[in-house]
Amino acid sequence: MKEIAVYGKGGIGKSTLSANLSAALAQAGKRVLQIGCDPKHDSTRLLTHGHRLTTVLDYMRVTNPLDYKLEDILLRGYADIGCVEAGGPKPGVGCAGRGIISTFELLNQFKLKEHYDITVYDVLGDVVCGGFAVPIRREYADTIFVVTSGEFMALYAANNILRGIRNYDNEERRVAGILYNKRNVEDEDERVVRFARAVGLPICAIIPRSDAFTRAERANMTVVEQAIDRGVIDIFSKLAQEIMAGCTLYEAKPLSDEQLESVVLGREETVGLQIPAASTPGKKPKPALAVPEIDLTDPNRYLSKNMIRSEPLHGCAFNGAVTMSVHIRDAVILAHAPKSCAYISYQSISSTGRRGLFERGALLPVPLSPNLEATEMGESEVIFGGMEKLEDKINEIKKRGPKAIVVISACPAGIIGDDIDSVRLLSEPDLPVVTIKTDGNMSGDYLQGMLMCYTMLAKQIIRRDVPVAPDTVNVVFEKVVAKNTDGNFRIMSEFLSQLGIGVNCRFLCDTTYDRLENFCAAPLNLLAYKDYTGKLLQDFFTREYGAVFFDMAFPVGFAETADWLRGVAGFFERPDAAEAIIAEHQARYAREVAALKPVLSGKKLMVITYNHSLDWILQTALDVGIEVVKVGILNFSQDEGFRTRLDVPLPVEENYDRDNREKDLKRYRPDILLTNYASSIADEVFVADTIPMCPDVGFYSGLIMAKRWAQLLKLNLKGEWKQDERLFRQYYAG
Amino acid sequence: MSGYLDNITPDSFSGIIFALEGVARTIVLLNGPTGCKFYHSATSDNQTIRQFEFDPLNYPEKWYFGQPRVPCTYLDSSDYIYGSRDKLTEALEFLRDNVSFELLCIVNSPGAALIGDDLRGIAAAIIQDRPVVVVETPGFSRDICAGHETAALELLKQLPLRQADEKAPKTVNLLGLSVFHRNYTGDIAELRRLLALCGIAVNCPLCAGGDLESVKNLPNAALNIVIHPDYGLRTAENLNAQYGMPFYVCDGPPVGFAATEKLLREICVSLGADASPAIAESERARARAYAFISRVNSLTGLPKGVTFSVEGTYSELYAYTDFLVRYFGMIPSCLSVLSAGSDCFKDRLRALLDKLGVSDALDRDILETDSELVLASGNTIAKLKLKKHAFSGIEISLPSLGYVDVIPKTHLGIQGALLLTEQIVNGLMF
Repeated sequence: MKEIAVYGKGGIGKSTLSANLSAALAQAGKRVLQIGCDPKHDSTRLLTHGHRLTTVLDYMRVTNPLDYKLEDILLRGYADIGCVEAGGPKPGVGCAGRGIISTFELLNQFKLKEHYDITVYDVLGDVVCGGFAVPIRREYADTIFVVTSGEFMALYAANNILRGIRNYDNEERRVAGILYNKRNVEDEDERVVRFARAVGLPICAIIPRSDAFTRAERANMTVVEQAIDRGVIDIFSKLAQEIMAGCTLYEAKPLSDEQLESVVLGREETVGLQIPAASTPGKKPKPALAVPEIDLTDPNRYLSKNMIRSEPLHGCAFNGAVTMSVHIRDAVILAHAPKSCAYISYQSISSTGRRGLFERGALLPVPLSPNLEATEMGESEVIFGGMEKLEDKINEIKKRGPKAIVVISACPAGIIGDDIDSVRLLSEPDLPVVTIKTDGNMSGDYLQGMLMCYTMLAKQIIRRDVPVAPDTVNVVFEKVVAKNTDGNFRIMSEFLSQLGIGVNCRFLCDTTYDRLENFCAAPLNLLAYKDYTGKLLQDFFTREYGAVFFDMAFPVGFAETADWLRGVAGFFERPDAAEAIIAEHQARYAREVAALKPVLSGKKLMVITYNHSLDWILQTALDVGIEVVKVGILNFSQDEGFRTRLDVPLPVEENYDRDNREKDLKRYRPDILLTNYASSIADEVFVADTIPMCPDVGFYSGLIMAKRWAQLLKLNLKGEWKQDERLFRQYYAG
Repeated sequence: MSGYLDNITPDSFSGIIFALEGVARTIVLLNGPTGCKFYHSATSDNQTIRQFEFDPLNYPEKWYFGQPRVPCTYLDSSDYIYGSRDKLTEALEFLRDNVSFELLCIVNSPGAALIGDDLRGIAAAIIQDRPVVVVETPGFSRDICAGHETAALELLKQLPLRQADEKAPKTVNLLGLSVFHRNYTGDIAELRRLLALCGIAVNCPLCAGGDLESVKNLPNAALNIVIHPDYGLRTAENLNAQYGMPFYVCDGPPVGFAATEKLLREICVSLGADASPAIAESERARARAYAFISRVNSLTGLPKGVTFSVEGTYSELYAYTDFLVRYFGMIPSCLSVLSAGSDCFKDRLRALLDKLGVSDALDRDILETDSELVLASGNTIAKLKLKKHAFSGIEISLPSLGYVDVIPKTHLGIQGALLLTEQIVNGLMF
């Protein structure tokens, strides 16, 4: 597969040339794809006979990612040439360069280029920013043509394009030469020839100023298709033949501004004129990098709920990925970001650690001392690109000898087009450099970042060829920012230990690089949470690694805990061990439920919560004789779909809102109101209590709460402080 | 392995947001993604109690996302390409029609700053009855002090300040205070109290609780007092250049009895006020502190010779070190510089350390310290605890470990000197 980038100043005729070249290549029997990379999106107009395509960027703006279809953005034009237009914002707003990056990401996910022999990129004018330079990155164009006329600004732009290429290639050879589009200005031929000689490039084609182009454009077709001017057709046919035969390639050798001026104005011959050095046969450019692994054409896409529902993004993917990846304790996590991004992530990670230390004296290594650093992108990097600083920082970290370096990118890196995946090439045998290209929130919300972290780390770290470690399990998807994560793990470890089972790997919590690498050793995987994300991850690990998952999440409440123990013990064929544990707790649970019934039986319970799985509390409520009058489920960015295994009808209402809350409180007059955040609206309720977003696991989670309600109902405690809201409003509010 | 002090510290983006959040009855609209919003909203809300419960349904999903402060335009990848005009317009119209405010500030996130939307033009078409201040560049990776000053200077530039014919006598503005300072509420209360004892009124604590009116009246105060020079010196110089306002630069924030007395005496001389009531109170406080220190000293010989480490800006390091060395006779082990780019007090700190013969304290890593007292943020104290190092930690900056101050605390002024004395006496190991 060949990929050709055609660059040149705006208005120089790139689109006309590109379309005619595509047509000639197609006529020569090649399957051709032309991608227009110009916000004015008219690159393929002559190939589609004037039919306007839906641009990729307009399409992405209004389409749910799950509904993406290639045929919506790909039009087959003349000679079955695939036509795609990136599109972009109106002049003067937004960032068209970033638009090119987004377009290429989507096209990569469709694996579009695999269906073609040759891809032609028609790219806007000068190389104005990292986004417009994407097509000249090594994983894209292998052959680059520069279009110019003899006008000074066209030659200036051509020289700038060579500078852009030079930045990527150094001495690599990818430039095929100059396409000279004549404008018939004074001294034009001499100027272009002098420029070509000065930069050491051949003039691959001279396209005359011909009425044939105007006539063909009027007919909305290429000259090649219209077949009127044989001379012009021959130029493109010959160029097509040369491309197919394999052009000689040259390195980009741009001139300084002073040199350019002297060359173009013909004041003097430039110094340092060099004979083009053709590419050495057999010499290969640096290896191309793999495109992002998640395949959007796969029906099982790993997208967060925010992304699928096109909701406002909650948090950013960068933060989600950083928060998870710091749990590889022996790796350094490097944020390619301004300090603010790393600082904000650091605070959210360390807040649970500080609180744990303050409240309970807990010394949790990861949240108290996350191995997070930043490249500290400054003004210079966001203008001139930050890859050099990133590479320098990686080399500095390498000297400290971490087990691995995980690089994660923030918005500015993504917007300017820093391609962090390229630093994987800095990996060493015992020091892998792993990347998660979140580009801040450009790839999605916090949850999407978590998903990317899991999937990208898995794909870059997990080994499939490890021996099985019998009687072990992996624990998958613990919620690392919950304050009971450590406590819950200890409870579950104790249960597992009583069953004679060890933990192989916690993916991804308080772990090491080696443990992640050995993920495939455990015969069974246990999900800590089976919410939307948990189910996605189960699907991912099952499909990618054939991982076997136990059907239940970490259990909360008596019934779930008993079922969980029986199930896990059954897998390892030691059911008696489970029954012994359950029996020990069953009598106590029954005794305590009986004691609560006289106080709680007949009371009305209303729940308003973000939690989508409530059996642990509802079962206990029903056990003690409470009537559940309403379960209002609030919209939550990280989960959806209320789940229950209870076989009683429940008054559940999803997408619950503030208006319903006020109405239902008046209607049901509950004795007990449970919410995630206590609110003054509940002042009328006898007992208003909070339930945790992530409840404690084990037999007694529901019972502990029910005991608390019983106490509060007995004592009818309100607190006089509640009467002082009036004073707060007087002295503080506003 | 993790040297977070080197690069995981707040930058100018946070400095700008917190500075503008420090203007009372102001909305700071973040033109950026929610990922940049949550931390700033939570921190501002914690520091400035303006709401009494965390009921997320009280704050609309869009723009506020369940939090009371720093609404945002929740930009996503599409907005970086097409521009933020639509979302910004929608947010501004909502805020104009539904939320009470006197001043609206719009701050670009680092990502939004790269696409160059015309924030001022968009806002001018929607908000016409109240002032709007725009900060387009968040100052990528510059330090938080620089961000604070950038925001303060933008306020001065973009708001119509009033200049009366005569200055209000014995009236001052306080510069260089931020809601990001751990004890900001207590700091301002103590400074106001002490100045009031001297008969001096505070017109505006700029970006630290002063409202729009007091900001507009800035030029009419008789003197600007720069409390934290790293956060306020440029602002004072600007006001001097623009309005001819004299300014007084503290020797770092006034930590300790001597620094406080010096500040009050010199301010009073400058304004023709009487410092004696405040000095008398300081002397009574010193008498009380003396008793407690003397009792410990008589048993243990401490606190003289106790080693301590401090993490802070240059001026904070100067102020704390000066007090701890001169008053308690303690020895600086490590002084770790935050926001090193804001170095207006660097030379003074170096001169102090040279004079004390402990210049190498600046070269040591606080995360490796073995000193008995550590004055730092909750993060640094927690990291040292994780290393099982035995010491007493005194929080002097955010983030906190989690202690909630119902009674406003301060390390500034007389009350601050007493609190520090209390914390040190209780933190000694013997």
